[in-house]
Amino acid sequence: MSIKDLFSPFTAWKYVLKDPVTIPDPLNDRPGSARYRGFHKNDNETCIGCGTCETICQNGAIDMLPVNEAETKEGDSGLRPRIDYGRCCWCALCVDVCMTGSLTMSNEYKWVESDPDAFRFTPGIDKKFWDNTELGYQRPDDHRLMAPERIAMGEMEAEDRINSFTEIVDGYSIEQAKLEADRCVSCGICIATCPTHMSIPDYIEAVRDGDYERGLKLLYETNPFSNVCGRVCTRKCEDSCASRHEGEPIAIRWLKRHIIDQVPFEKYREIIGESEPSTGKKIAIIGAGPAGLTTAFDLVRKGHDVTVYEAKAAAGGMTRYGIPEYRLPYDALDKDIELIVSLGVKIVYNTRIGADISMQKLQDDFDAVLLAIGLQEGRQTRIPQSEHEKVYRAVDLLDKITAGENFDLPHCAVVIGGGNVAMDIARSLARLQKQQYGQVDVIVTAMEEQQHFMADPDEIKESLEEGIVIRDQCGPQGCEIDQSGKLIGLKTWKVLSIFDKDHRFSPQYDDSDEVIHACDTVIEAIGQFSDTSLLGNKLTEQLEWDRGRIKIAYDGQTSVDWLWSAGDCVSGPDVVHAVADGHRVANSIHSYLTV
Amino acid sequence: MQDLYKKLKKQFSLGELTEQRDDLAFITIEKDKLRPLLTHLRDVEGYSHLVLLTAVDWLEEGIFQLTYLISNRTAAKDIGLRVMISRDKATMESIHDIWPTAATYQRELREMFGIDFPDSPRVNDDFILEGWNNIPPYRRDFDTLKYSTENFAQRPGRETKDPAEHMKQQLYPDGAE
Repeated sequence: MSIKDLFSPFTAWKYVLKDPVTIPDPLNDRPGSARYRGFHKNDNETCIGCGTCETICQNGAIDMLPVNEAETKEGDSGLRPRIDYGRCCWCALCVDVCMTGSLTMSNEYKWVESDPDAFRFTPGIDKKFWDNTELGYQRPDDHRLMAPERIAMGEMEAEDRINSFTEIVDGYSIEQAKLEADRCVSCGICIATCPTHMSIPDYIEAVRDGDYERGLKLLYETNPFSNVCGRVCTRKCEDSCASRHEGEPIAIRWLKRHIIDQVPFEKYREIIGESEPSTGKKIAIIGAGPAGLTTAFDLVRKGHDVTVYEAKAAAGGMTRYGIPEYRLPYDALDKDIELIVSLGVKIVYNTRIGADISMQKLQDDFDAVLLAIGLQEGRQTRIPQSEHEKVYRAVDLLDKITAGENFDLPHCAVVIGGGNVAMDIARSLARLQKQQYGQVDVIVTAMEEQQHFMADPDEIKESLEEGIVIRDQCGPQGCEIDQSGKLIGLKTWKVLSIFDKDHRFSPQYDDSDEVIHACDTVIEAIGQFSDTSLLGNKLTEQLEWDRGRIKIAYDGQTSVDWLWSAGDCVSGPDVVHAVADGHRVANSIHSYLTV
Repeated sequence: MQDLYKKLKKQFSLGELTEQRDDLAFITIEKDKLRPLLTHLRDVEGYSHLVLLTAVDWLEEGIFQLTYLISNRTAAKDIGLRVMISRDKATMESIHDIWPTAATYQRELREMFGIDFPDSPRVNDDFILEGWNNIPPYRRDFDTLKYSTENFAQRPGRETKDPAEHMKQQLYPDGAE
């Protein structure tokens, strides 16, 4: 033993009066740093249960499960992530990828339990002592795993497009489409919102893979109007897209159109496959619009004999006679129709049921009949002097434009209405005016404030670019006619409110704020209704009605067992809704005929 | 940190400066500038402590990023020097002669990323992954999920639901709306 060893215990005494370098209570006095990746937090209100956290987790630590605190509804699966801390490594990829920013981490890192199963928990639902901790890891604003902005769609400039009815939108190139498809996290939340439940993530994956034939097959499994919907779908799916929460939704409609654009039409038949053998059952369909032809598509593929009666000279219904060519070129629509016809569906044109053939005859000659006549008649405002010959319904004029019929092109038109049909007629007239008169003079008046118009915001933006004037909060009070009987304007009062406290239509005006919108033509675009006179008195009385519409069961069957109804005439105006109706009705008719 | 950066810049060729906090900044430098700069910072600027040496796999760019975090304890400031090296046959000069502790970090990086540091003591010995038989696990092309699924059992009671399928069952079980 050396001298040093003898004295060293005593040298420790010199530290007695110094501050210790250790932390007195390390379990309580050492909070995690501000960006520490500690225990998870999840804001139940912002979480949409998209499961992207589960998909990215490299340890398989996350499960998606239903919880009482979240309801399954459009845009929210109602599932919430449950994390197994036996597998989690706190890498925070789940936080980085979270589409809504609901999933974050606290800076808490101490948690003691005797039950090992307690470490499998649902953040935000199972209450934890760190739930209100402010510090901890959150994805920095500029750090995004998915690009928040959509790939811009090329389109014609206003001055180039106003001269013609040429399609405005370019469509994506293969490169652009792949980039846009890359933004999709394939959560599938959108599928429930689509009326016909298209397999959206799967066809977007087909775009990513460049396998367009697989994409087309997927489209046609749920939607024989994919050419149409790829261009003019109301795309409610995009309102449910997980990407919309912290960026722009995926351009689902444009990706659908991209698939369509990539596959040559000659290949469609082969991709869609053969129909089933003939059943010998005969079905008559009234109306060759999307609802009628979707039903025809499904039924002919199941081996039934389908005849479609169409009053007009061409098929497509409102998609042809309502939607202008610059939004939906006729050759795109023709492809959808040609394919359906190629499967063996017979379309009898220029034949009006009720006039040329009676309903009785259809009942006698066919095993089942579908009424899919759409909403062809324009509603009227019935304001004073609106019975003037220069007051038109928008649908009637759009019909004439499609059919190439002559009419007096207004030098100055005032449109009443703020929906898509109002924009369609305004923009169509603007094009014709530019072609014939060299200048645009169209005013759109509507009761709503512009930000509450029913029309697609893109339609409003593009209308304004094309020189159309929009005057909002204008309630029509009457047409102005001069002494010679000529229509000279539309009188409106400023709208103060449209609905009463019970949400009933009850407009209030400020009659001191009166405007006369000078014009030579007034066009009413305030909605459509169905002309059901074709049914005849006997059938009309036999059928049950629901507030002016034929009453149908969930599957589209009316109260008369051989008659079904589908599409706009029973469900209101929307193409993809009509397609969904068509499938539902086809299923119902098929089971009725084969039981 | 700006001042130090400006001062260093007169003597060394430096890349971009990223100031994370008042007391933490990162400087990107060329591979062959590391040794002189580390030595200068240690001996002249008081950055005497090697806090850590770590790597990031920039798979898409074909690059490994090495970060040498050093600390000036008196000034309570940290600097991270970032060096980008090729991911292919990744090799970096050892700094164990400047800081002996570097050998341990280099051995770890050799095992976890497959980055070689020739002449670093015991660099090829197993570190924590005894008997590892796969590609280095911190490389991003290592499929962590596949490996963990194949090698580690789930606790009983695990179940999960697919969001789209669950929504179908809840909202439109018949397949229609």
